[in-house]
Amino acid sequence: MITKLDDLARHVRNSGRRYRIAVAWAQDSNTIGALRKACDEGFAEPVMIGITTEISKLAAEQGIGTDGFTLIDVRNESDAASLAVEMTRSGETDVVMKGLIGTDKFLRAVMDKEKGILAPKSVMSYVCAVEIPAYRKLLFITDPAVIPFPDLDQKVAMVKYAIQMANRFGIGKPKVALIGATEKVSRQFENTIDYSVICKMAERGQFKECIIDGPLDIFLACDPQSPAIKGVPTPVNGDADILLFPDIESCNPFYKGLMLFGKGELAGMICGTTKPVVVMSRSESEKSKYYCLALACLMA
Amino acid sequence: MVLRKMNDLKALATKGQRRKLVLAAAQDHFSLNAVMQACADGIIEPVLVGAKSEIDAIAQEFGHSLEGIKVIDEPDMEKSVELSVRMVNRKEADVLMKGKVGTSTLLKCVLNKEWGLRTGNLLSHFALFEVKTYHKLIAVADVAMNIAPNLQDKIAIVDNSVACLNKLGIPMPKVAVLGAVEMVNENMEATLHAALLSKMNQRDQIRNCIIDGPLAFDNAVSYESARHKGIMSDVAGDTDLLLMPDIEVGNVLYKSLVFFANAKVAGVILGAKAPIVLTSRSDSEEAKYYSIILAAAAS
Repeated sequence: MITKLDDLARHVRNSGRRYRIAVAWAQDSNTIGALRKACDEGFAEPVMIGITTEISKLAAEQGIGTDGFTLIDVRNESDAASLAVEMTRSGETDVVMKGLIGTDKFLRAVMDKEKGILAPKSVMSYVCAVEIPAYRKLLFITDPAVIPFPDLDQKVAMVKYAIQMANRFGIGKPKVALIGATEKVSRQFENTIDYSVICKMAERGQFKECIIDGPLDIFLACDPQSPAIKGVPTPVNGDADILLFPDIESCNPFYKGLMLFGKGELAGMICGTTKPVVVMSRSESEKSKYYCLALACLMA
Repeated sequence: MVLRKMNDLKALATKGQRRKLVLAAAQDHFSLNAVMQACADGIIEPVLVGAKSEIDAIAQEFGHSLEGIKVIDEPDMEKSVELSVRMVNRKEADVLMKGKVGTSTLLKCVLNKEWGLRTGNLLSHFALFEVKTYHKLIAVADVAMNIAPNLQDKIAIVDNSVACLNKLGIPMPKVAVLGAVEMVNENMEATLHAALLSKMNQRDQIRNCIIDGPLAFDNAVSYESARHKGIMSDVAGDTDLLLMPDIEVGNVLYKSLVFFANAKVAGVILGAKAPIVLTSRSDSEEAKYYSIILAAAAS
């Protein structure tokens, strides 16, 4: 079982596989740095798509070489994204990664109906594994980045993606907490209605093996003492592996709070596509960027 | 305690002081016969409000002695209902029963803000069945009053029905929320309501009962059938109360049980200050009689 993000990277390194990473609009020094490390550790074969002269220049500025990299010269960011997605779709590469291009433009290529890597009617979402010193294990949270206000179907898909990811980390029966402000069901909080439905679906075997409860607040979800103190019996029992948030506005500040105040690191990726997609925000640490890459390889 | 037969209700109905039943617009031989039978069996003490001359004539025709029975002469139908409702409001009677008066007139009086029987709760119908093929009495709600209950209404229907079952000596009745399937399906609202009611019950927001749903009818009443489908449920196969998705399912089920399964049935309106016996003319005399017993037991 993978219980630390360093274990994740080690696991991928030890797999003996080299994952081909197509980077769209690759002339970005942070990205080049993260890929250099992954390449040197032997689990990544970067395919850098963009203005090759700039890529080489940026690498040189950092004092690193581009040996082991495949460089493809493309002069336009949308074309670079399309080519990166196309290569991944055809199996030439295993993972597609966003470089200097804007997220919107990049995802447009990912979602392209004909040439993209999102199956029709699939829900695209984001799951990340967070490591914080204050919690005894990794915490998978969703969705801090892609779906602003998920409806029931989207929440169901998000839960499934998070379970899939937890399974890859070796957690056979993850505990899923559906997060709200309280544990009560109320028509005023529409999410609590969706949560009740999801719980019943789980009871009826409509999900893969897992334990689900919600609405739960963060304490009931993650603090083993809390269920007894609050008198709320819950099978999650303060030991959640997965936290589903009602919307982006709650999940995004939560994960950023963990990063900033909780000394957290994360590994996250887009889910729902047929191939792993790595999208990293500028504010993520070098370390987290490297973990994201390792995660995409694990899921490939 | 398990109630297996309608007659098991009699012991509950006669426990303690004899319940007073007021029959509004009592000049109706269908209701009067059932009331007089229940009186003769020592179950209730009737008060008859209505046109005395007509009441006397019916009593004579059907051989009921009205000796010792309180009859209040009020020939005006609406006034007789008002008098009856006021008696229940003043706690001079424990059960209200509809005689020869339209349901709407009776309910209008029941809902009167000054002297009616409002409690702030939703009024709902509660039916209890004795079916040979089930191991105990089974309650069904709502088959007659609320047409298309929303979630809030369903919570109220469960609350009313559970309070009644508690009074009938079942401290934690098992409530099955019926659907066409046991799976949650976003396109079937009943299954969504069922999921919500279950969760609210788990969170102690609906108390004194165990709720599970959606359950298909077979899963709700047959343990074997639930097991066959791999449903893990504390309710399946041992349901005390079937909560209906809407009146159409409820009414059809009710009539199927009566006509195809020879079920014995009793029905009352709950949610007012006292149980109300509101049977229709098409109900058998036996059904009226059992409804009186149920109302007395639940009061």
